[in-house]
Amino acid sequence: MSRLADRIRQGGIFVWFSGALLAFCLAMIVSLVGFIVAKGMGYFWPSPLVQVQTADGPLLGEVTAHEPARGEETEKIQFRVGNRDIYGQDFRWVPAAGLGPQERPKDAVLVERLEYGPFIGRIASLSHEGQEVATGPAALEEALKRLPEASRLRRHIQSIEKGQVGDLNRRIEQLRLSRKRLEAKADAAGLAALDAKAADLQAAYDQLQGSLEQIRTEAKAWTLNLQTADGQAKECPLGAVVRMVPANAMGPLDKLGVYLSRLWEFAADDPRESNTEGGIFPAIFGTVMMVLVMSVLVVPLGVVTALYLREYAKQGWLVRAVRVAVNNLAGVPSIVFGVFGLGFFVYGLGGSIDRLFFADSLPTPTFGTGGILWASLTLALLTVPVVVVATEEALGAVPRSQREASLAMGATKWQTLWNVVLPSATPGILTGLILAIARGAGEVAPLMLTGVVKLAPAMPLDGTFPFFHLDRKFMHLGFHIYDVGFQSPNSEAAKPMVFMASFLLLLVVVVLNLFALNLRRKLRERLGGSTF
Amino acid sequence: MPSIPSKQARARRMDRFMAFAISGGGLTIIGAVLAMLLFIMKESVPLFIPPHSKFLATVQAPRAGGAWVDESGKAVVLMSHAEGLKALRFPEGTALPVPSAAEGPALPWRAFTPLNGRGESLVTGADGRLFLTRLNWSKPAGENDPAQWTLEPRWQGGLAMDQIPSELLHFRVMEAGGLGGGATLRIVARAGAGLVWSEAPLDAPAPMAWKPLALDPALHATTAAWSADGRNLFLGTREGRLLLFDPEAGQVSSQAEFGEPVESLGFALGQSSLLVGGANGKLAAYQRVRVNEVFALQAFHAFPRLGGPVLGFQPSQRDKRFLAWTPAEAVVDHLTTERRMMSVRLDGRGSAALAPRGDLIVHANESTGALKVWSLDAPHPEVSFGLLWGKTHYEGYEKPEYVWQSTGGTDDFEPKFSLVPLVFGTLKGTLYAMLFAFPLAVLGALYTSQFATPRLKNTIKPAVEIMAALPSVVLGFLAGLVMAPLLEKMAVEVFIFPFVALLLALLAAPLWGRLPLPFRNAFGTGREVLWMVPLLLLGVWLTSLAGPWVERVAMGGSYRTWLQTAMGVTYDQRNSLVVGFAMGFAVIPIIFTISEDALSSVPKSLTSASLACGASPWQTAWRIVLPTASPGIFSATMVGLGRAIGETMIVLMATGNTPILDWSPFNGMRTLSANIAVEVPEAPLHGTLYRVLFLAAFLLFVLTFILNTVAELVRQRLRRRYESI
Repeated sequence: MSRLADRIRQGGIFVWFSGALLAFCLAMIVSLVGFIVAKGMGYFWPSPLVQVQTADGPLLGEVTAHEPARGEETEKIQFRVGNRDIYGQDFRWVPAAGLGPQERPKDAVLVERLEYGPFIGRIASLSHEGQEVATGPAALEEALKRLPEASRLRRHIQSIEKGQVGDLNRRIEQLRLSRKRLEAKADAAGLAALDAKAADLQAAYDQLQGSLEQIRTEAKAWTLNLQTADGQAKECPLGAVVRMVPANAMGPLDKLGVYLSRLWEFAADDPRESNTEGGIFPAIFGTVMMVLVMSVLVVPLGVVTALYLREYAKQGWLVRAVRVAVNNLAGVPSIVFGVFGLGFFVYGLGGSIDRLFFADSLPTPTFGTGGILWASLTLALLTVPVVVVATEEALGAVPRSQREASLAMGATKWQTLWNVVLPSATPGILTGLILAIARGAGEVAPLMLTGVVKLAPAMPLDGTFPFFHLDRKFMHLGFHIYDVGFQSPNSEAAKPMVFMASFLLLLVVVVLNLFALNLRRKLRERLGGSTF
Repeated sequence: MPSIPSKQARARRMDRFMAFAISGGGLTIIGAVLAMLLFIMKESVPLFIPPHSKFLATVQAPRAGGAWVDESGKAVVLMSHAEGLKALRFPEGTALPVPSAAEGPALPWRAFTPLNGRGESLVTGADGRLFLTRLNWSKPAGENDPAQWTLEPRWQGGLAMDQIPSELLHFRVMEAGGLGGGATLRIVARAGAGLVWSEAPLDAPAPMAWKPLALDPALHATTAAWSADGRNLFLGTREGRLLLFDPEAGQVSSQAEFGEPVESLGFALGQSSLLVGGANGKLAAYQRVRVNEVFALQAFHAFPRLGGPVLGFQPSQRDKRFLAWTPAEAVVDHLTTERRMMSVRLDGRGSAALAPRGDLIVHANESTGALKVWSLDAPHPEVSFGLLWGKTHYEGYEKPEYVWQSTGGTDDFEPKFSLVPLVFGTLKGTLYAMLFAFPLAVLGALYTSQFATPRLKNTIKPAVEIMAALPSVVLGFLAGLVMAPLLEKMAVEVFIFPFVALLLALLAAPLWGRLPLPFRNAFGTGREVLWMVPLLLLGVWLTSLAGPWVERVAMGGSYRTWLQTAMGVTYDQRNSLVVGFAMGFAVIPIIFTISEDALSSVPKSLTSASLACGASPWQTAWRIVLPTASPGIFSATMVGLGRAIGETMIVLMATGNTPILDWSPFNGMRTLSANIAVEVPEAPLHGTLYRVLFLAAFLLFVLTFILNTVAELVRQRLRRRYESI
């Protein structure tokens, strides 16, 4: 007994206890990251299509979840049955009892479509302008052969709609604005010229619509006749098919091909079906763009502040207080920055800019609404303390001897700073910038108030003058996660997309952080060695 | 060689310029960043600017008994017995043309109700027929000059009556319900000594019959008003009673004591709050509300007393302010906040009117004909300090409560801006997060700094730093979509896991003690954490076995029913536990890193001395290192608190965002930060909600700034102390 009391007093067991808590923390980190990676990366691998017999007939789909019996609830299996247009929902829970054997029919196909999500069933036949061309397995083969051409046509239509038609629309809108101006001036000649221009544009527009219509009919020529497991028929034009995956008949190499093509689609395509399918390229692009603009803004802000605090300001209680205040800004909630951005940048500055320079298009705001510039500025404010702290540290680590040597050679203070101190401090500043980027890339709350949207009609960077549109709204990976996961009507079907987006965001942030930490460590070692 | 001096001069010029530029730039940036605070404060300050009223003008007008101010405040319509309708331009007082009403009541009018805020009135003409009018200014698009407007009085009815009442008190038009039939009119009037009422279809040719109120003869009704649905009458009596009376059944359904003879009745915007004015100046608001399952007439607001008999009321058509007047003064009060927004002196009886926007007050003196006008500037009357932080009695509520509900479906919605539920939610979320994070982070840091081998330490620290970098939106997503459903399924397991883990640790420690010492030294000391991982996994497995068993045996099969019946709490899927875990996860690395720094830099001399005196490593860590570094841990906790208080995305995604006041860990909350994120995009610029949200942001700013500053100061002092040891 006394030995036990003694041991407790010695506290070996508490060491174990604290170790256990730490182990718990570490296990949480590892399992969290592992979970996201597994969920996100696993999603694109084609899973087998399983057919079972239920009380309401046959059911074909991917097995997505399994819930063991618990209490009063019996064992259940969740199938992703697809065919949202027919069944109304993508997923179905089925009691595991009495399902019969799980078959994997070779002819089962998962057809990814532009609308209504995937179709899961069989291909009955392929027809061209109403004529059946092939049936059964041959139809699948023929369809697979025809698919690239159909997809090419579809992309062609899309590029016309986005490029030329969008361009025309913009010019018509510009015309409308200049008409408004001329009407205010009552310039009859100008108005007549405008009318002529408008007629030209309309003619071009009609011609374009005509050729588009032609391509559209061409694209509709090939039709897939599909059949669900319980015998319902469905037609789908080949042009509306993204991919056909006969998962049960595929070897590992084919599956890898599908996996890679899905991954590519995810990274490089636009989203479909209110962001629950397709890719997230605009979100990636928006994030990168926003971070770049932020970096351009935050570096001068942070470096100038740090230079002032460390090199020019008279050290005293005031500078110390300012330093504490700037440090503490890093701890101010990001939503507060968002509120500030909304009130000051968007409504204040943006509103003024609109009144001064874009009065024609009012009441439609140009800069007086959220946009990439305001979002970046807000994030720059948010991350400025990170850069200031890192820069100050880097400036402080430059050995005195170097500065004194430079000054003794007759260089001015600025020459010393520019030629000696700043080059040595560059890696430190870079570290600060990377940490700022990592922080900025992960922030969502302030963006929600200053310019992020769930679906941006146009990118902030494109081929129309002035190419870089600072006033445009943009999409963002982090907001995409929030929006698709929580605001989407079909969030269950979109979950894998959210996992993938989370994985990407995590990857970006973690890699940036590791890079910065590594850089900082190396820097400390180097400078630690060279001080004397 | 002239080039060298010039080069030097250029360098010196450059130096001076850069010194100037950097100092200026640096100061500007620092100033700008700190000006954030001022800007956010500035946006919320107008909430607390007291209402401001100004006397505008006196206009000589025909003597009138009723007035209606147009929306724009540029025209007023007056009513009098002798001359009928008169329109004046404001504030000049010049007459505007009024179309002669051929189809309207014949002059002179015998009686009329004062025009209400929508320009409606009931008039008895010289021939004893009864008309309803709705006034409307027809304004050409974008026309601001009242001279270009035309007044369109629309007369309806022309009903003959079986007797002519001496005073029309109140009426309500009930739009036709269901199929066919026009609107019907319900009227209450004074005839002789008592009150009479009647109901008539607006377009019926049949004469109207007045019916007396079948009231207890001991009570003498002085005034009356129809309830919002038009079925019941609110009656005020000379005996100081307020009755809710069903005229058809002749029954009093509820009543309340007022305390002095009732002089006048009125409604605030929305027609559900009854305003009551007494003969001696008492002013109060009543509502019909369910109290303890029974409908009752309840006094729910009282306003400062007036000096004489309250002659009438008029509500604003935009918010819950209303005008009340006596022969000696006119006041504008706000229903929700009970605040007196304006009070002006009058000289004699008359009728007063409030413009629909509530920004203009007109008083027409009935004996002299002087028309006095005041303006009232009160942008945010619905907010007061008491409303933000205290309990307020809202319309439809049984008792005063803390409520946040900023928007409603209808125009007459009463906004409820209590910050208490939001601050409460913030504190609740923070508390649960800290409960989870604090022990894990501090003990983890203690272990890392005192017991872990250097190699292990070099892996743990970066791992935790990476944890700090995890975007909160990812954590929130996992918490809301993965953890919440999981926790719902396995709440029991989650609760018993710590006990299972503790039990395992207690079992494992003595076993470990029996292993040979060389083995323990080679693989154990400093690496306990690695051994704990499989042990924890074992714990998870055991818990998953034990959970269903516990649920079956101790809770009768379902923990939710058990919670409901035994504890009386409901279980929401997105609850405080989920937030506690997720936000704790976000806070752990912050507390861990700062604590670890503080613990690691405790001077070696102290620990060596302790160990040399024979203390065990744990005793040294617990009694020497921890107390010495406690300011550092305090500072870490402050920074962690600051992060948890301001965290937005996790709370937004992992709770139901319901602003409730309940400490239960099984339901959600709404925090200040999430509330801002949800509501600010929809808040109209410079509206009350916008400013209240800025106030919330200001609070968050100040709170976190104070926490961080305290933490920083404590940390600096600790650093100096270490240096002195």
